[in-house]
Amino acid sequence: MKNIKHSWAEPYKIKMVELLKMTTPAQRKKAMQDAGYNTFLLKSEDVYIDLLTDSGTSAMSDRQWAGMMMGDEAYAGSRNFYHLESVVKDIYGYKYLIPTHQGRGAENILSKILIKKGDIIPGNMYFTTTRLHQELAGGKFEDIIIDEAHDPENDFPFKGNIDLNKLDKLIKKYGAKRIPYVSMATSVNMAGGQPISMKNLKELRAFTKKHGIRVIHDMTRVAENAYFIQQKEKGYKDKTIREIVKEINSYTDGATMSAKKDALVNIGGFLAVNDWDVFEEARNMVVVYEGLHTYGGLAGRDMEAMAIGIGESVNDDHIKARVGQVIYLGEKMLEYNVPIVTPIGGHGIFVDAKKFLPHISQDQFPAQTLAAEVYLDAGIRTMERGVVSAGRKANGENYYPKLELVRFTIPRRVYTQAHMDVIAESVARVYERRNKIKGMKMIYEPKYLRFFQAKFEKL
Amino acid sequence: MNTIIEPFRIKSVEPIYFNTEAERALIVEKAFYNPFLIHSTDVMIDLLTDSGTSAMSSNQWAGMMQGDESYAGSPSFFRFEKTIQEITGFPLVIPTHQGRAAEKILFSILGGKGKYFVSNTLFDTTRANIEFSGAEGVDLICEEGKHPSIPAPFKGNMDTTLLKKFIEEKGTANIPLCIITVTNNSGGGQPVSMQNIKEVRAICTEYKIPLFIDACRFAENSYFIKLREEGYADKSVREIAKELFSYADGCTMSAKKDAFANIGGFLAMRNEDLAQHCRNLLIMTEGFPTYGGLAGRDLEAIAIGLNEVLDEHYLQYRIRSIEYLSNKLIAAGVPVMQPAGGHAVYLDAKEFLAHIPVDQYPGQALVAALYVHGGIRSVEIGSLMFGKYDEHKKLIPAQLELVRLAIPRRVYTQSHIDYVAEVIIEVFNKRDEIKGLTITEEPPMLRHFTAKLKPIESK
Repeated sequence: MKNIKHSWAEPYKIKMVELLKMTTPAQRKKAMQDAGYNTFLLKSEDVYIDLLTDSGTSAMSDRQWAGMMMGDEAYAGSRNFYHLESVVKDIYGYKYLIPTHQGRGAENILSKILIKKGDIIPGNMYFTTTRLHQELAGGKFEDIIIDEAHDPENDFPFKGNIDLNKLDKLIKKYGAKRIPYVSMATSVNMAGGQPISMKNLKELRAFTKKHGIRVIHDMTRVAENAYFIQQKEKGYKDKTIREIVKEINSYTDGATMSAKKDALVNIGGFLAVNDWDVFEEARNMVVVYEGLHTYGGLAGRDMEAMAIGIGESVNDDHIKARVGQVIYLGEKMLEYNVPIVTPIGGHGIFVDAKKFLPHISQDQFPAQTLAAEVYLDAGIRTMERGVVSAGRKANGENYYPKLELVRFTIPRRVYTQAHMDVIAESVARVYERRNKIKGMKMIYEPKYLRFFQAKFEKL
Repeated sequence: MNTIIEPFRIKSVEPIYFNTEAERALIVEKAFYNPFLIHSTDVMIDLLTDSGTSAMSSNQWAGMMQGDESYAGSPSFFRFEKTIQEITGFPLVIPTHQGRAAEKILFSILGGKGKYFVSNTLFDTTRANIEFSGAEGVDLICEEGKHPSIPAPFKGNMDTTLLKKFIEEKGTANIPLCIITVTNNSGGGQPVSMQNIKEVRAICTEYKIPLFIDACRFAENSYFIKLREEGYADKSVREIAKELFSYADGCTMSAKKDAFANIGGFLAMRNEDLAQHCRNLLIMTEGFPTYGGLAGRDLEAIAIGLNEVLDEHYLQYRIRSIEYLSNKLIAAGVPVMQPAGGHAVYLDAKEFLAHIPVDQYPGQALVAALYVHGGIRSVEIGSLMFGKYDEHKKLIPAQLELVRLAIPRRVYTQSHIDYVAEVIIEVFNKRDEIKGLTITEEPPMLRHFTAKLKPIESK
């Protein structure tokens, strides 16, 4: 009997489709020029496969859409809020919930409550909006991720881990009183969607407890992180994603979440804490920035969709298919010798632009250039995650991150295996002609979060 | 025919949960006599606010299904942008998750210590956002606007004499913005005349102060202009609205009111520099400029809603249904603000409960009584919302003590309104039994949302 492959397939079938538009190379050339060579500035209708981000771009389920019809749009005390509150308590384990319109809304509030001027916020690698809100509140971010995370080719399975020696050095330098919390993310986006291990989380908890420092959890991709723990960490292969997620959260004091990722919704986020005092302050602040604390700048229906989505996100079959699709794409790219961050992360493939285009210096924006080239080839939109995203320091100097990456972020439950094949082939074609690709110069640079709106010109 | 009918039939219903007076007496106590703390399912008729509580149309729901959830450059955004450009004439459109987010961005840029924002009357979050920036908000309502029971066609007008005087006193350099709120919510949903807007425009031009419209209820205001202002009877509401906006430099809007949306807002303006500055701030706290913290589907719903609200059959029914309730109350001798506003009936709590001194919050006491008696939720707009304390911790009361019954758009029917009138009249007939309240807990800002109160102890 021949060896028949035992494939697995997605645990869902399509209920509704959205039609895609095909473009010609000439159309794409014009579109890219009009967009200043910044994929953020392309019109969605000119994009064939949109891998800009996995944020808010997922497909909701029929159950979530049913929930959308059950929106209680009362200004105060909406039924949907109480449903969301009980789900967060039950699945995530946090006591008190403040909904916000999305992740940065929660980051804004939490930073303002916990950070005072001059504070140090250590974390496992920066994220754009997280660091911004820490800085706006007067804090300074310090990277305490393990060194392996900055090496795209290092195969360590838990590159999201925190180096406790680095944390210890900061405590010795600044004193624990100047460190209100460690900002710990699951998973680490900018390192390539890399997970943190449960062992590291337990050690972090023990260490921070000793010094009276909180652990605040950016839990945006916690279920994906849980999957890697289940698959790769000793002692967890028989635990469910649900159990692992709850355990991860138990080692933290509070969380910010963008529900637009793991929780499978198009809008929404929250702040969740176990500390009554922090909750009370957040409850007063949320009305200024977001809305009343029982809707936080969200429609009732979206809170309902979020509650249902959270339940779906911790389903083992769902996560297996979700991460499985990303790994499928990554392995296909590796077959074509395209340099990518390894191990393959949970929400996208991070192409190493430094290795892809070694003849283009970081000052000529290799990742930005590569993202533009990929779009021109087949209309696939990706996101620069390199020197442009890293921004400038307080003194005006550029950050030059070790990781100069192009992120192919996979929306959840949207694209099919055929789309993944098309993506891999397109990147392979660009790779074939990489020596002919020239760099760019930045001609417009906004002050904050420049990557969103910067414009470039080909050299 | 004299009967004015709703220009729609019901496509989908949501059940009302019934409870008894005895149950509600316990509920209001548990909610600390604050309607914001009552669960929506415990409210029979929810007139807390017209914000985000409207019924969308089948066309809007169809738009919801068409939402393009791309992070950048979604066609849903372009439809949203085009609609707002057409209706307001402002070329630059920036979405926000709701009104206060638009205000926050604008006032962060323009505000600051030592500055003054002048208005007819600033509503709660507008005032809070101004003060949060360090500036002061100044209400310059016309004389008629100060007398709740005396009808006048345009009680929302700004006092142009006082405006000129104030500008002369403080100087242009210290007044970054003049805001006209249409209709004037805190003043009883009262309209502003086109003549008044032209006059304010002339003063602002003379003294080089920018003029923005708080456009939350611009369609209702435009309809009042058509009904009451000479020379406008033959103009369409769309034309009137466009003219109204033409006198301003920009607007903020909460789409949760006249645009029939459950969430959403925007900034629109003519000045490119200001717009870019707004977009830069938007990214930090809301989201990318082509979604601004909203799902693509909500942008669709808002665009469709903005066109629907300009329908004169709808506005006729809308204005008439508020008037209907108001007339019933007037006939029974209940003291209400006159004439009827565009979105709500305002009870004069000072008159209604003349035996309760202002520092015992007669408005809030009336709110509690209406809830207990008939399961109707309303909101106090008086000293709880706008009161402040002097240096001796004594209350500086608000100008008016009102209870607002805001009617959600396209939600309740005539029988619901008849019931509301009956409840109010019954409460009026036994008003001597109502006791005042005292605050037991309050946050520093926007206290009405989360304050806790209890009845004054009987002697």
